[in-house]
Amino acid sequence: MERKLVIPGEEVARGKVKLGDGVYRDGERVYASVLGLLDTARGQVRVIPLTGRYFPKVGDFVIGVVKGTIYETAWEVDINCPYLAILNASDYYREVDPFRTPLRRVMSPGTTIYAYVREVAPNRRIYITMRQRGSRVIRGGRLIQISPAKVPRVIGRKRSMISMIVKETGCRLLVGQNGLVWIGAKNQAVADIVERAVRKIEAEAHTSGLTDRIKEMIVKEREKV
Amino acid sequence: MKVGEPEEFIIDGKRLDGRRVDELRPLKIEAGVLKRADGSAYLEWGGNRVLAACYGPREIHPRHEANPQRAVLRTYYSMAPFSVYERKRPGPDRRSMEISKVTRQALESVVFTHLYPMTAIDVYIEILQAQAGTRCAGITAASVALADAGIPMKDLVPACAAGKVGGHIVLDLFDIEDNYGEADLPVAIVPRTGEVSLLQMDGNLTQEEFEQAFKLAIKGCMQVYEKQKEALRRRYGGSRE
Repeated sequence: MERKLVIPGEEVARGKVKLGDGVYRDGERVYASVLGLLDTARGQVRVIPLTGRYFPKVGDFVIGVVKGTIYETAWEVDINCPYLAILNASDYYREVDPFRTPLRRVMSPGTTIYAYVREVAPNRRIYITMRQRGSRVIRGGRLIQISPAKVPRVIGRKRSMISMIVKETGCRLLVGQNGLVWIGAKNQAVADIVERAVRKIEAEAHTSGLTDRIKEMIVKEREKV
Repeated sequence: MKVGEPEEFIIDGKRLDGRRVDELRPLKIEAGVLKRADGSAYLEWGGNRVLAACYGPREIHPRHEANPQRAVLRTYYSMAPFSVYERKRPGPDRRSMEISKVTRQALESVVFTHLYPMTAIDVYIEILQAQAGTRCAGITAASVALADAGIPMKDLVPACAAGKVGGHIVLDLFDIEDNYGEADLPVAIVPRTGEVSLLQMDGNLTQEEFEQAFKLAIKGCMQVYEKQKEALRRRYGGSRE
């Protein structure tokens, strides 16, 4: 499916339409507000951004790193966004009594976690939780950062890209919506291949037939090792 | 090496650098040139060389500058010491602080700052080489950098100057015309609505001359606007899913 590239200020629709993200209305007309691809599917007009920072949405899985300031009953987590993310002790994946065990001993600063965005408060404080299925503490492996706008491509439609990479390399792969990607591989050589594949996806996110090309690349690189 | 004041500014309908009175200097814009910035643009406009970088929205430091209603747009205009004939002392001075401020105001009107309360959007404009009209070049580059950073905005903001030299109204002054001319009128607009977001004047113009120069500057802005869009298309063009 070909989508049109739009630039801020470009007219994208007229009259009565439902507005999604990345557009704004001025009287009768609707204009793009971000640089991206125009999407008019499902009865609404929106622009899929091609660049930009990560902004948390409820329902996203993100990869975060526990920050140095740990409160009595909560952790502060860096999730690569301009707002503070809080993980309450009650949102830890198992019961902890913060008054008996200091939280610093449960998860120390620098611990990497895969967590779920539970709430974006009106004051822009982000609450994340590890009670959601799939959340966990991440140990070892390799953490890389890519542009958050390219994350959907790394995941692929119905996770097709992730599944393919996992199947081809036998590694474990976690992709946070915030652009952090964790690679858990048997050895450095495999991790190198996966990292290169992810970087290639990031660089060529706008092209079609990417899954097949990445698969080809992985197969070729695997033979070399 | 300073060139003295020329006797004539326009000879046989041509300006000293060979342009017509309503002609821009050659303009080249490239988007996304810096890897570590969220958005960036490099611009060559005649003898001007400008690099603009945009970071954000990001956590604001110092914290007390944060606005709970909207993002704070901060612009930093700075000239490299080697950008002019006589070495410029590095660091902010009165002139660059003024230009930072007018640039911020020119861009603030188009950025949807209310979407990102408590954050800062930083725009750095670095003049690598100057040949008059750097504030216009800076604003032009900065708005491309903002769009490249994925910042929601109403429109791009092109800027262009007009002025008066040797009794003629001309578009886009270069350094000799700027130094020895009679007036300089930088203008930035929001092309979609026709709003003016920067209007300054140095020197004197009569009301008729002003109107003529203003119209000419807007025409120049529209040409700059096309170049801006072209630069972004080139950077992201051919995109499909």
